[in-house]
Amino acid sequence: MAYSNKVIDHYEHPRNVGSLDKGDASVGTGIVGAPACGDVMKLQIKVENGVITDAKFKTYGCGSAIASSSLVTEWVKGMSVDQAMQIKNSQIAEELSLPPVKIHCSVLAEDAIKAAIRDFQQKQGAAAGPAGDSDH
Amino acid sequence: MSADTDPFALFDLPRRHTVGRDAIEARYLELSRAAHPDNVVGEGTAARRAAVERASAVNAAYRVLRDPVLRAEALVKLGGLDLDSTDPERGAPHPTQEFLLEMIELRERLEDGGPAGLDALRDDVDARSEAALDAAIAALDAGEFRRAAEHLVARRYFQRFLDETEASAP
Repeated sequence: MAYSNKVIDHYEHPRNVGSLDKGDASVGTGIVGAPACGDVMKLQIKVENGVITDAKFKTYGCGSAIASSSLVTEWVKGMSVDQAMQIKNSQIAEELSLPPVKIHCSVLAEDAIKAAIRDFQQKQGAAAGPAGDSDH
Repeated sequence: MSADTDPFALFDLPRRHTVGRDAIEARYLELSRAAHPDNVVGEGTAARRAAVERASAVNAAYRVLRDPVLRAEALVKLGGLDLDSTDPERGAPHPTQEFLLEMIELRERLEDGGPAGLDALRDDVDARSEAALDAAIAALDAGEFRRAAEHLVARRYFQRFLDETEASAP
């Protein structure tokens, strides 16, 4: 199967590989996996005043999964949390010209950014005080 | 899974993980002989093609039945869960966050530790992969397909890690 040039570029020169401090209240961490193939993806965002100022990822998987997460970390920097929540896997797949059998890699990246945002939001909720525990 | 793609049915075996190796070999010889292309020499194209397909199905089933992992995955599939599918109901069950985080941390240990601790790490993961298969077989014996599928998914993650370390080894 032929990878598109953009996939190869992100695969060979992945942007924003690394980790942010998971314990930092301004950092949201999303970890998702594709059980069928054993791929695993960690995507982290740092949020300041509602804006994503930094993003890092570590993906252990195929080239398309690495490219999808690399692209998302590039995209979300400078976005508001709400904007980042709107990212669709179809946009990722289109940008990277992913073939149908690799669409699930873009779904994984969408799931990862959403999981990271939810993690950040939960931390914010918990930091707001005992009200964060009210759902028990 | 139709009778054609149910390796246990094709080999007249009960749907159990424990199989008699001799029974598989004997049945394989029998089926291979029956499906041999020589039997249909002189017959029409359709009959010859059917024989080739039959022989190929016998070989595929034989491959699955001989391999403990493939056999377990086939039993789970017959139980309604396809590990190669992403369907939320009938596809591979998703591992927990803790498990996925651990899979990331395993890679980080590999990157940070270098080749020094590689063997120990590999042995450890190899043992856990074996344990996951054993747990899956126990679940299959108890008829608990979802639990078996969860263990088999974990085994795939361990296997993936081992394949990666194999690839990066000097």
